[in-house]
Amino acid sequence: MEYGSIERELRIDASPEVVYEVVSSPEHVREWWPDEAEFDPVPGSTGRIVFGDPASPEAKVEQLTVVEADPPRRFAFRWVHERGVPAAPGNSLLVTIDLVPSGGGTLLRFTETGFRERGWEAAVLEQAYADHSRGWDHFLPRLVARATSLVARP
Amino acid sequence: MIDDDLWSAVGDPTRRRMLDLLLTEGGGTATTLSERLPVTRQAVAKHLVVLDRVGLVHVTPAGRERRYEVDEAQLARAVAQLAAVGEAWDARLQRIKRIAERIQRDRQAGVEQS
Repeated sequence: MEYGSIERELRIDASPEVVYEVVSSPEHVREWWPDEAEFDPVPGSTGRIVFGDPASPEAKVEQLTVVEADPPRRFAFRWVHERGVPAAPGNSLLVTIDLVPSGGGTLLRFTETGFRERGWEAAVLEQAYADHSRGWDHFLPRLVARATSLVARP
Repeated sequence: MIDDDLWSAVGDPTRRRMLDLLLTEGGGTATTLSERLPVTRQAVAKHLVVLDRVGLVHVTPAGRERRYEVDEAQLARAVAQLAAVGEAWDARLQRIKRIAERIQRDRQAGVEQS
């Protein structure tokens, strides 16, 4: 088991070709993730994604390197490595999206690994600490079940 | 506190089970925990060292043994971090689903019209 990983699976009523386009093309990536995305969806290509107004000094810029691009089956990339440094295990998070045809639609399998090696500061981009405002009473009873489902999802 | 270590500490299924037992029973020793788990007392003791190192448990002497209790604030902190990343991806994946299904519908409508 890879301890530092997030795994998800979801069914989408669209063909693998369409889903592949959505997960890999910068125009669509901008619709579901950052405010700006610039990269070529080909293996080895490095680009960047920007959270916030790209013109603002407060914008958060992250590097992204495409690892695998095998339409319409698999798209994988590494992100959060430092600028100018080649993406590798230990300095980045690896996102892998596998697409499997399923009854006229697509089964999307998502994994993100590398947290243990990379650390949390970079991984937790989007108001990671918002959860801390929740009270302990609400939180504690759900803690272990929650951690189990998040980390150990088979 | 290094967050990587926190993640590793709660990422192990045996250690999560131990935390669960310590929470529900209000604490325990390596011996009481090993009686409830399919692992040796020695293995439990090693896991407790890991949990102690990242501040997830507090230790107090209890006769010849050491008694462990969960540091709930630290556990909440670890879990909040996991939850935040997981929830962020859940939201992104839902957006991927909506966008792909919209494109699929639009293309089918286009085919039927032509």
